Amino acid sequence: MMLSFLIFLLIDESVSSVNPIAADQLRQFETEVRPVLVDHCLKCHGVEKQWAGLRLDSGNAVLRGGDSGPAVVPGQPDASLLIQAIRHNDADLRMPKDEQLSDQQIASLVRWVELGAAYPDQAPRAKRHRDRDHWAFRPAADVAVPDVQDNAWPRSDLDRFILARLEGQLLTPAPKADRRTLMRRVTFDLTGLPPSPEEIDAFIADEGPQAYSNLVERLLASPAYGERWGRHWLDVARYADSNGLDENIAHGNAWRYRDYVVASFNSDKPLDRFIIAQIAGDLLDANSEDERHEYLVATGFLSIGPKVLAEVNQPKMRMDIVDEQIDTVGRVFMGMTFGCARCHDHKFDPIDAADYYGLAGIFKSTRTMDTYTKVAKWHEFPLQTAEAATMQAEYDAQLAAKKQAIETCIGQANEAARASLPEGQTPPESLETLYPEAKKAELARLREELATLEKTPPELPSTMGVTEDEIANVAIHIRGNPSRLGDVVPRHFPPVMLGPAEWVMPPAQSGRRELAQWLTDPRHPLTARVLVNRFWRWHFGAGLVTTTDNFGLLGERPTHPELLDWLAKRFIADGWSLKALHRLILNSSTYQQSSSVSEKAAELDPENRLWSHFSVRRLDAEEVRDAMLFVSGQLDRTMGGSLLKVKNRGYLFDHTSIDTTDYNSKRRSLYLPVIRNNVFDLFQLLDFPDPAVPIGDRSTTTVATQALLMMNSDFVMQAADDLAARVCRDATADAVRLSRLYQLTIGRQPTDPELIDDLAFLQQINQSLTATEPEPEKRHLKAWSVLCHVRLASSEFIYVQ
Amino acid sequence: MFNSGHRFPNGPVLTRRAALQRSAVGFGSLAMASMLAERSVLAGPESMNSVVTPHPHHAARAKRIIFLFMSGGPSQVDTFDPKPLLTRDDGKPLPFDKPAIQFNATSNLLKSPWRFRQHGESGLWVSELFPKLAAHVDDLCMLHSIHGTNPAHGGAVMKLHTGSDNFVRPSMGSWVSYGLGTENHNLPAFVTICPTLAFGGINNWSSAFLPAIYQGTSLGNASVPSDKAHVKYIQNSRLPREIQLLQLDRLEKMNRDHLARSGAEASLDARLASFELAFRMQSELPKIEDLSTESEATQRLYGLDNPVTANFARMCLMARRFAESGVRFIQVTHNDDKVQWDQHSDLKPTHEKNAREVDQPIAALLYDLKARGLLEDTLIWWGGEFGRTPTAEGAGPGAGRDHNQEGFTMWLAGGGVKGGIRYGTTDDYGYYAAENKVHIHDLHATILDLLGLNHERLTYRYAGRDFRLTDVEGHVVREIYA
Repeated sequence: MMLSFLIFLLIDESVSSVNPIAADQLRQFETEVRPVLVDHCLKCHGVEKQWAGLRLDSGNAVLRGGDSGPAVVPGQPDASLLIQAIRHNDADLRMPKDEQLSDQQIASLVRWVELGAAYPDQAPRAKRHRDRDHWAFRPAADVAVPDVQDNAWPRSDLDRFILARLEGQLLTPAPKADRRTLMRRVTFDLTGLPPSPEEIDAFIADEGPQAYSNLVERLLASPAYGERWGRHWLDVARYADSNGLDENIAHGNAWRYRDYVVASFNSDKPLDRFIIAQIAGDLLDANSEDERHEYLVATGFLSIGPKVLAEVNQPKMRMDIVDEQIDTVGRVFMGMTFGCARCHDHKFDPIDAADYYGLAGIFKSTRTMDTYTKVAKWHEFPLQTAEAATMQAEYDAQLAAKKQAIETCIGQANEAARASLPEGQTPPESLETLYPEAKKAELARLREELATLEKTPPELPSTMGVTEDEIANVAIHIRGNPSRLGDVVPRHFPPVMLGPAEWVMPPAQSGRRELAQWLTDPRHPLTARVLVNRFWRWHFGAGLVTTTDNFGLLGERPTHPELLDWLAKRFIADGWSLKALHRLILNSSTYQQSSSVSEKAAELDPENRLWSHFSVRRLDAEEVRDAMLFVSGQLDRTMGGSLLKVKNRGYLFDHTSIDTTDYNSKRRSLYLPVIRNNVFDLFQLLDFPDPAVPIGDRSTTTVATQALLMMNSDFVMQAADDLAARVCRDATADAVRLSRLYQLTIGRQPTDPELIDDLAFLQQINQSLTATEPEPEKRHLKAWSVLCHVRLASSEFIYVQ
Repeated sequence: MFNSGHRFPNGPVLTRRAALQRSAVGFGSLAMASMLAERSVLAGPESMNSVVTPHPHHAARAKRIIFLFMSGGPSQVDTFDPKPLLTRDDGKPLPFDKPAIQFNATSNLLKSPWRFRQHGESGLWVSELFPKLAAHVDDLCMLHSIHGTNPAHGGAVMKLHTGSDNFVRPSMGSWVSYGLGTENHNLPAFVTICPTLAFGGINNWSSAFLPAIYQGTSLGNASVPSDKAHVKYIQNSRLPREIQLLQLDRLEKMNRDHLARSGAEASLDARLASFELAFRMQSELPKIEDLSTESEATQRLYGLDNPVTANFARMCLMARRFAESGVRFIQVTHNDDKVQWDQHSDLKPTHEKNAREVDQPIAALLYDLKARGLLEDTLIWWGGEFGRTPTAEGAGPGAGRDHNQEGFTMWLAGGGVKGGIRYGTTDDYGYYAAENKVHIHDLHATILDLLGLNHERLTYRYAGRDFRLTDVEGHVVREIYA
């Protein structure tokens, strides 16, 4: 059943991207109509039986109809016998006889007839499963930049790829966005924060030709850039400050990985080096102690995944962790789902179980855990820093002092005890029995203090990460079962990617270093494509390949395959520099379009897959929170470090279900603890991704619980209070204050009607508050807070054009 | 326009927008009017805000489900599955092998400290732990051969709720909402009352990769007494209602102006509707949570007047009110500040305490639903994440039992299942499921089937694969159907 459903969705690519209307109709038919016909009609009106002379198994047959005439009149559901029959309105014409179709099914058939009753003769050709020649496994091509008619529009070759497709569909790009809009868009895009009114004014005042590219440079150089784009990376790295799953204990040192990511983006670390360090940092030669630490911290990438830490079946736990690592590396860098091949050859992609266990050998030869007994402990590297040395030295000194104190105490007491013995009497074996009570108590106290001290060594700086384990190839686990083993598979990379098996696994190392080199080899067909597509997605809200984490046969095809290849090659040629890619994209005409949609584009390309305008986007969860703190003047810009209150490996949640995490910080959202199993509710409600799995394409939902958050949460109301106080402090006249409010929150001046409405609103609220707030000044401030609250909840604040 | 019961057209965005532009009524008056209206005309806009596609695969035997989750794992051999040989062989070794994988080490057989009696016309066995529930055995469908895959709380709880013990997957309630939608557009389709935040926490009611509208809405959590358990942000702590109405009116104008300037944009349009729905939820939910409108007799029936039963009683009564209001999947969790039913030691006093807390409320829920004619299309499901070993952990009067996922009892009632029957067995000592074994996957398949959903067809495409609650497993147990 599931398979047949899958086949329906594996619609031939030639249909899906060229003509969106036909594709829509086809999809509607294949997903909603054909299944109903097959399940409810064809038994009696198909190949085997033709009741009433009617067949419904082809388009012609439907039009020809049966004894009563044509079954369907395209475009006219009410005139179609088929529709009359399934509606059961006419006693003589009721089909199916036994059971009426559901309202939904009837509606689907009606819609199908309305749309013209297209009926492809056969289910569309399925893609060839396990196709080794699938586009994503072929190396990126050297493509020619296409010619365009309108040579004035493109600012770069990137634009030519976009424009050529638009011209092909007789569409024109949207006009350039106005400067205020562009300013707000690019500032949020690069920093996750709104522009300040002063920044807007400065940009508008700068009429030079370089104004915009200067703005881009300023933003790229701002530390907030790394905070915003590092956070994108943390989405795919499934970053979290707690383990989640069964034993939700603290990743007390995960923040070091987070800070490493932010710093890497800020310094424009070449992405190939960034990848290599995350997979094999512990195996790299470092030039300094700092670099060595950085490399170790980077391997946290492999360790921060969720693990079932109380799994009693230890071999299973071990293979579950290996599986999570394979799946993460596959999705994040290659856009491939390797997980399926743990139990059987991948059904759709040419990845065999043997390929899976070839990779599994690499991770099985890697030590992620120090112990596997419940609650299992992940490996951490101590970080030899000056701070650590001081802490250790202080601790050692404390220990020595305590021991010394005990010895001194004993020495003195022994002397006294011996002296107190009558002449000639042999001392007892332990002189302690002779001590006076006070001395005994003192000694007991000192010993207890020593014991406590020994039990509480300082938490020296350490970092989650992986190291080498015993090197071993792994046997295929039949149906994924660790106790049913098949052939041992040598460690290797999936042969479908990157040609001949020239990579040799070192006998004395896990092979992670080779894995990292293989992934970042410029010939690898997937890595650079997957990366540039991710970056495109984070700029434009959708990828050239919309399934950012799946480039396999079940993923979507790129809308602009040539552009994707061109970008991938250019990215590698630019030394894997992300900032170079940003400049290319942000300075393009494509990026600078307004978000106005022409009627023709709305009709032909409703999903904006051809980029004929800039799609409006809602702010991400972090942006909503940060922007509220920012405009209300409360945002604390301190960077880095941990806000986790629980100590490393301590429980975030135990059976008491008490949430001890404090989110009341004014720091940027990036620094708030990410707690698996119970993500901060403000984030949860605003589509923060599940931190247990790599997610490169956050969803944006619009649900009523978000509205409740905006209406009723203390956070939003506190921001409104702070914003009101700020605006009222800055000026005395309400009209001036309003101008300030609009500038701060939405980057523009209010219109006259808006001024009138807002002033009337303030007055109305003021009146309503008379009974509860007798003091006029306080009352007016409250009214302002009520208005600021509305502005913070408004779509114009929450969306970017 | 809005005079026809505030039903928005389901057509393209522009139609609705045009309607809004023509409309002279602001948000406040609209919301006021809808609050006064009957629920039948309250069906909201069919946008992203409300779960639609009520699309069962076949005729449903149950329209909704109430899951009474006994966190920690109640003991089958002390509640519903009596074992005479266990009593006879008390203190002797288990005469066959224990499972290869156990949570803790256990010693010899430990007989149940409670007496069992047969009840009702059906003669089903119930121990003296559940005297009130025993009066309803003719409505219960005992499943004695449930078995799972994971012996630790975390894995077992996640398996039970999501079908997976090592990945984050959509919870069962999310699958049900995805498959069936809601009957009441002013309420979520899936609510969970006082759930535990341990052992998978929110993943046990989250929608994972299913769209966010299908996630469960929690009322409080296990650390909150049920009279303090509310949906987050459902009430405004500062602003009086009339001010909030003015605010929403102003907001609607701002958003409508913005929409007009931005051009047709579905998400902006949906956002307008989301505030309307939020305001209706804000009025509806507290009404359901407010149990003071229930008669004193009903409150006493559930045990609201008794401090021992009051906490769980409130949850059960709320569950009935949610069921009446059209919520599809309602979960109630019995979990205290320890892991309620997890008696590794002190089996006798603690299982007794636990049973006392739930016995009367559950009996009342069954009685009440039946009296209201709701039991026939409401499925009640009782159980924990696993059962307990018939062998002892510890010794003497403080002895307890370890986790046992190999064979344990759950029961169903109402919603299309036969009452007064037992299905499946465990071995003579109650350790392993023996005849007619029902795996957690089978139970999931069966419950979906009862709700009109085919577990093999209820799929969702994610990361290149079609996922199901039952993965590649699941066998529907039709033998228990009425």
